[in-house]
Amino acid sequence: MKEVLWHGRGGQGAFTAARLLGAAASLADGRHALAFPSFGPERRGAPMRAFTKMSDAPIGDRSAVAQADYVVYLDDTLLGEGWECELKPGGIVLVNSVRTFDDPRIVALDADGISAAVLGRPIPNTALLGALATLCDQVNAEDVKEAIRQYMPEKLHAKNIVIIDAAMEAAACQPQKSAQHPGCHPERSAQRGVEGSRAATAVALTVDTAGDPSTAHLRCSAQDDSGAAAGRPAHIPTLRSGTLDPSAFAHSTCFEAGYLVAKNAGWRNKRPVIDSAACTGCLQCYMHCPDGTVYKVAEPARGGAPVAIDLDFCKGCGVCAKVCAFGAIAMVPERDESEASA
Amino acid sequence: MPVNAKTISDDEFFFGHKACAGCGGSLAVRAALKVLGPNAVAALPAGCMSAVGFNFPQLAFANNAMITPFAATASVLTGIEAGLRAQGKKPDDCTVVGFAGDGGTADIGLQALSGAIDRNDDVLYICYDNEAYMNTGIQKSSLTPFGAKTTTTPAGANAHGCLTQKKNLFEIVAAHGIPYAATASVGYLNDFIRKVERARDIRGTRYLHVIAPCPTGWGCDVDETVDIAKDIVDTGLWYLAEYEGEQLCGQPGGRFKLNRNPREFASVEAYLRRQGRFKSLTNEEIVQVEAGRNATWETIRRTWIV
Amino acid sequence: MKRFLSGDEALAEGVRLARPQVISAYPITPQTVVVERLSEMVESGELAAEYVHVESEHSALSCAIGASATGARTFTATSSQGLLYMAECLTYASGGRYPIVMMNANRSTALPWNIYGDQRDSLALLDHGWIQVYAENNQEALDLALMAYAVAEDARVRTPVMVNLDGFALTHTYETVDVPTSAQADAFLPPYDGAGNRFDFEHPVNIGFSAGPEYNRYFKYWEHRDMLDAPGVIDEVEARFAEVFGRAYPGMIECVNCEDANVVLVTLGSAAGLVRGVVAKLREQGVRAGMLRIRYLRPMPSALIAEALRGVRAVGVLEKDISFGAEGTVFTNVNSALHQAGVTSPTYNFIGGLGGDDISEAQVIGMFKVLLDASEGTIDLPRVSFLGIDSPVDAAAPSCHPERSAQREVEGSRSASATAAPKEAN
Repeated sequence: MKEVLWHGRGGQGAFTAARLLGAAASLADGRHALAFPSFGPERRGAPMRAFTKMSDAPIGDRSAVAQADYVVYLDDTLLGEGWECELKPGGIVLVNSVRTFDDPRIVALDADGISAAVLGRPIPNTALLGALATLCDQVNAEDVKEAIRQYMPEKLHAKNIVIIDAAMEAAACQPQKSAQHPGCHPERSAQRGVEGSRAATAVALTVDTAGDPSTAHLRCSAQDDSGAAAGRPAHIPTLRSGTLDPSAFAHSTCFEAGYLVAKNAGWRNKRPVIDSAACTGCLQCYMHCPDGTVYKVAEPARGGAPVAIDLDFCKGCGVCAKVCAFGAIAMVPERDESEASA
Repeated sequence: MPVNAKTISDDEFFFGHKACAGCGGSLAVRAALKVLGPNAVAALPAGCMSAVGFNFPQLAFANNAMITPFAATASVLTGIEAGLRAQGKKPDDCTVVGFAGDGGTADIGLQALSGAIDRNDDVLYICYDNEAYMNTGIQKSSLTPFGAKTTTTPAGANAHGCLTQKKNLFEIVAAHGIPYAATASVGYLNDFIRKVERARDIRGTRYLHVIAPCPTGWGCDVDETVDIAKDIVDTGLWYLAEYEGEQLCGQPGGRFKLNRNPREFASVEAYLRRQGRFKSLTNEEIVQVEAGRNATWETIRRTWIV
Repeated sequence: MKRFLSGDEALAEGVRLARPQVISAYPITPQTVVVERLSEMVESGELAAEYVHVESEHSALSCAIGASATGARTFTATSSQGLLYMAECLTYASGGRYPIVMMNANRSTALPWNIYGDQRDSLALLDHGWIQVYAENNQEALDLALMAYAVAEDARVRTPVMVNLDGFALTHTYETVDVPTSAQADAFLPPYDGAGNRFDFEHPVNIGFSAGPEYNRYFKYWEHRDMLDAPGVIDEVEARFAEVFGRAYPGMIECVNCEDANVVLVTLGSAAGLVRGVVAKLREQGVRAGMLRIRYLRPMPSALIAEALRGVRAVGVLEKDISFGAEGTVFTNVNSALHQAGVTSPTYNFIGGLGGDDISEAQVIGMFKVLLDASEGTIDLPRVSFLGIDSPVDAAAPSCHPERSAQREVEGSRSASATAAPKEAN
């Protein structure tokens, strides 16, 4: 069985790609596939996962893929530390990126560029699907195109088939990847089960399932005490760390209010940047932020803005920039920002 | 002192939640709780705001808050209020407040809401209206407007999305003789905040109906939430109004007040065309929507305090 | 004080003595008298509670949930379709560990529409996380109202309790009941605190959140484990009850002459009164008959039942319920208990009393007779049979003519409907 783990953001089409791949891989008689998304509470923009399993025999295991033959990232901001733990020995990572990666296990493809050239805006899912058809011997180009014809709306067929061809060509030009690196411990990958916490990396909840459930415990592997709390008001949900013991918490559904264990920073591909010179302190950004991540700065530094952004929890929606009547907030791509700061 | 941008509490009672970027519902909940303060007790049924706010151990409400059965927002509010009062434990500044979506209010929760208003229980019910069952993935509710495409009112050759009109819940609620009811929009946030503040200080049942756009379900960009929520008011497809019951205004049967009376409406067509959900509407259907708007406003301007 | 009360009235007296702070209920026959009495008590000031006139059973339990989340002691009552209508809320109440006490007037479920007693309503909801207890008579109904709070609110248990009274057979049947004084009740039942599972203005909490796959199992596991601790708490509560009120109860099950019995009839609710009398008569005739009355069906007293029935030659289970396409639900539970304990006594299910049908003394005698015959191998007794339809019991029952039984049906339904008609709801 070949297993594919897709990482994307809600709304990017990762599950569509997972589904098309499964459909392509099971077109022929005697071929089987499963495709399913991870269902979580997180919404559009939040990191999410999808899975494709392909086999010559019926597949009974419908559980999430912890280690995959192919791990696909629809957004390179999601490719973070610990990525190798999700790879089987010999596995390959396929990432939508214009960056180059030293690790021979990582194949980068400018899926945004390929799709934007055809569609006018970047929708990277089918480009990555095309690349996968090159890398993976479970499907070929014709299977993938047939899956598109069968399962996408008709008006999208032609353009996506062009994307598939372009992506396959681009992928074929990649240097041959090999994967001699040993895999990681399955337990480590299991730690990544909690969606959303992985990208943030600040707090990774782990569930220790060994032994009796009554003694099993939840623990935070790291804690972030910086940033958010400083200068914030008395009543606000805050990041916590520490041990959660089911034999203590699970006797009721009553728990400390405002208890946060994960940031939302990983949702964002753009961040608001305040031009303090243009800011008049009208507070419209503060009032209208759906996430409460714009906060008043009690004593702004000389030349500093009277408001600031809590980037641990900002989702990058851009409402603040839109409501600013003075054009004092710009939405800057995360990648540029991180490169600029690096 | 009236609550405004300068005076509003710095506290954030709804923070760290998992709502979509640019979610109008979360803005409504956040703003209301900032007005109501730390002693508010909130109840939320199944729906977007409970789904994104209460993921153990990620608990995004800083105040006392609980989940209710879907149909039971109002009856749980009643229970909370009765329980606190019976024990003499209700702080003076405690508002028992519910936040339910359009489906949780106008469909499955309407019976319980009607019961609470009938009893005149001392609770504040806030309906954040994003015009469909967004939590389950954009299905039609009775507050979905005519022509909106949802996953259960697909736009095709035979039907252009939702075939029914938006239920007039504000007047249904007012017809109970409720002490106070109001409509609002997160696009006119100061108006909403003023109404939350006003409702906070009235005893008996209060109802606020706030338009809270959902970029995911409406088919607009995530940064357009506030702008589009302003636009719906400017087009006259939604209005900002208050109903004051007899208890409040002394007038038998109560009275309706319009808070904003646009001299000229913004373009309905532009409002509809900027959203993916109305893409299939024909020009004739848009004229029909305008005509409905005009009829509503004719009545409002004739019978309400303008 | 001795008073001649119906089961509904007796239960209402018990609730009054328990001093609930919030009562929310919706009327349904044959529960109605309970809520009528309670609203009278609130009106007169005998009971200091908020009485909430909710608009449905769904809201009745939801309101109780909201009130319980503030730390208030709460009560509600329902029956039949009303119980089914609030079924969704049952799991909110149990999962939220709200120590709500609810009276359920056991009544048939539609269709055909029928307001009379059987136990299909509560048994259909056995898996919803509530402790379920079945009263045999009106005194027990009153006493259970008090004891239910003591059990539900115990920090080790913290689980809602459903007190079941057979519709009409208990709810509308009058008998002498000893109504304790408030001083006695207060000495027995302390005020509810609710700390740790209620709103707190000093240390705010979020209640009734969602928990994904990685956490859900812990909540469910402890919901189960804590209910398994209830029998120990029930024993303590009954011991205290006996001290204060001088009335002793036998715990999860009651065994009558089971020790040396060849045949035992297992039952629950008001039918036990009839079976009890028959066992005494049969004993006088030298028949080694016994009765096992299940008082608490959740948590399931499996080990106690198995030990009580070990060595018995034939076991009958009499219940007012059928799980369509299977067998009686109580029968399934008893069989599982016996199997787990390696007790191999043959078991037989008698389905009777459906839709308020009477179960006669003659039929109970007949049940023991066919059980004896089956234990001696002289008849081939079907595993599941319906009284009055296909059960060998009717042939074995003394003087049980079909005509007479038909006559009884006509009379029974006439008198019952005369009683209930003015108060019908639903």
